[in-house]
Amino acid sequence: MKCNKTLLKLTPLFVACTLALSGCSSTKVQRVDANQEVALSDKWNAKDSQLVAEAMINDMLSFPWVNDHLQREGSKPAIIIQSVRNKSHQHIAVDTFLNDLKRSILRSGQADFVANKDVRREIREERKDQELNSSLETQNEMGQEYGADYALSGTINSFVDEQGGDRATFYQVDLRLIDMTTNREVWNGQKKIQKLQERSRFGF
Amino acid sequence: MDVNVLNNIVYKSHFAFLTIVYAFLLIGCQSTPANKSAILLAQQGQFETAKQTIRSDYSATGKSKLLHYLELGMLNHLQGNYQLSNQLLDQAQQIIEEQYTISISESALALLSGPSYTTYAGKIYHRPLINFYKALNYNALANQASTGRQALLDSALVEMRQLDTYLIGIKDKSGGYDNEQEPSGLDNLTRQINNLTRPLFAPNDLLKDIEYKDDAFAHYISGILFERSGELDAARLQYQRSLQAFENGFAKQYNINGSIITQVKTDLLRVMQAAGGYANEVAKLKKALKSDSTKSAQPILNILQNIGIGPQRKQFNLLLNIDEEAKALVMTPILWGTRQEQQAQMRWFQMLYADTSLFDLIQNYASGDIGDVAMGALTKRIPLGPLWEDAVDLGLVSALEYGSRISVTYLEPVQKQINHSEVWVGNQKVATLNKIYSVSLLTLQDALNNANSEIQIALAREIVKAMTAQKAISATGLDASFSGFAKLATSVVNAVTASADLRQWQSLPAQINYVQLPITKGKHVITLKTHLSSGQVIEQTETIQIVDDITLWHTRTFLNKVRAQTTDSTFFNGKLL
Repeated sequence: MKCNKTLLKLTPLFVACTLALSGCSSTKVQRVDANQEVALSDKWNAKDSQLVAEAMINDMLSFPWVNDHLQREGSKPAIIIQSVRNKSHQHIAVDTFLNDLKRSILRSGQADFVANKDVRREIREERKDQELNSSLETQNEMGQEYGADYALSGTINSFVDEQGGDRATFYQVDLRLIDMTTNREVWNGQKKIQKLQERSRFGF
Repeated sequence: MDVNVLNNIVYKSHFAFLTIVYAFLLIGCQSTPANKSAILLAQQGQFETAKQTIRSDYSATGKSKLLHYLELGMLNHLQGNYQLSNQLLDQAQQIIEEQYTISISESALALLSGPSYTTYAGKIYHRPLINFYKALNYNALANQASTGRQALLDSALVEMRQLDTYLIGIKDKSGGYDNEQEPSGLDNLTRQINNLTRPLFAPNDLLKDIEYKDDAFAHYISGILFERSGELDAARLQYQRSLQAFENGFAKQYNINGSIITQVKTDLLRVMQAAGGYANEVAKLKKALKSDSTKSAQPILNILQNIGIGPQRKQFNLLLNIDEEAKALVMTPILWGTRQEQQAQMRWFQMLYADTSLFDLIQNYASGDIGDVAMGALTKRIPLGPLWEDAVDLGLVSALEYGSRISVTYLEPVQKQINHSEVWVGNQKVATLNKIYSVSLLTLQDALNNANSEIQIALAREIVKAMTAQKAISATGLDASFSGFAKLATSVVNAVTASADLRQWQSLPAQINYVQLPITKGKHVITLKTHLSSGQVIEQTETIQIVDDITLWHTRTFLNKVRAQTTDSTFFNGKLL
């Protein structure tokens, strides 16, 4: 009976503490370095995009096709990105990944980039406008575009294995580089990332 | 006034007083939930008012934040704001995933208050529907887009992959529709014992085969979207999973007719022929379909017609009392509302809880008298037997002196509102749509499936609340002076907080109809005629542009008044004939 009374006295205290703890959380925002990984879930994030792009471009430029092209043509190869299809189970900002790829290639200084179809269309419109409205000295001529030597394309795939609160996610990025004159595949690269997310069934 | 006199007055009039209190509470229970009002407004074309209703009644950070995102996601989908709809549904999906971790503090609070004080986590079938509507949104955006179509279709496929992962998890837990036979290892005696130890409340066999264990419809839509993007292997797998689920129980469980199964077989045959290398399977399918046809090069239009508004979860109240003579807990339904609602409440009670099984009748006979046996259909008795003395010692008998209110969910019977729907191209009827998914039956079966656990938790909660209040009265000394008044007051407080969790995604349709048509590329004027059981016909017309070999196109048909909003992927010019 005494035990029951003690329990009865402690119950409101326990409930109050529980409610107080649950009410303690508040919104907090802090500035962090853009290069620092903030992994709140197992989803594909900015750090994944950056790391995969750097690793794959380093691999791509280590293959013999770059030197072969330099010897043959006497100039840096020009690359165009055709498409990278997201075939994973997560929404991935493919444009961001493509930009990371471009930055890595341009930073290496070993290859040039040709703008894609949509950007080229916009630039041509601009040149047409220059013909009408710009002075002769500052106009850019039509028909002087740089043609791409190689086309880069690929896919992002993923596999998920889930059991209870645990989820293993495996991302695989496959890229290939095609010689646009011969259709030869001069490089094929692959990068894998595996992530494990653990969630507890109970929490406060 | 003398304390004893006050207690005496209270004691004599407590039932009348409690009845009045319950009556007030019950009147409050019958009000239309805000999300039902919102979808009714949307039905009339008043989308902005509907969205404002949701925003003001369901905060984006409160316990019902999931409904905030689900309802706004659906309203924007209906308006054709597909990108915004996807952002909102993304949030909803994230909230559901966060609910995997059960909050102990919230559960403790719910035990002392009620289920509606917890964060709403949605139902098991909501997650697939979120992925489905997000995929429809991406598909509609792709239909409208002049550039970047494939990226949008890829996004729809991302949703289908997430859906597949979720359904694999459900199948792992439930066994899916693979194993339909009884467990063979059980001997007759074990089976009989199992039958005796079945759930306390529901009669035997009533709750069999109503579990949500896979989703043939979701697999089928997934197959269509994969095929549309040219991913034939993935499409084949999804069509195969769909066919297996439809044939092994999904169609029977949700009352889907055989023409849908024939359609899935036809699609499976088509992708197998296109992919090549399935000679044996193709031969079997051709035999099953009695078809010698080779693959057709004609474009295909898939029409999904979302019809009506899903059923509303309603509250049903019971009075919990102690029968000291029979040494039993007694639950009596309190019927309230319209005649139709009262009938539904009584049927729900008799179907799920009342002492109508032979086992219950014998129990009543053994613990009470013949009158209890006769009352079986109107009450639920839980004989305490040897536990009675413990119940007295714990204060349970005293705590329930003035009774307690228990609230659970019920749904009204699903009514057949639609007779059939037809597709007309130009002035010619070209096909009849068939039901492929029933949200009404999903909702009903989910409520039936959870009815046992819901009432058991509600019963436990009200007993804990009553006993906690009783102990508080004893500890403060009120027991000696204001016993009757204090108990009555706590009964009233407990009755106020005893409410069932009626929250649900209300803007879902009642059912989804489907048909596949061969069509030519170009512009077509398509009319959908929905024949209601009342004899009325709802006619809707839209011009659609067919540019791909496979097109998926959706619409929503409201039964009371067609919507006036215009979008590219929904009907805009409807009239009630």
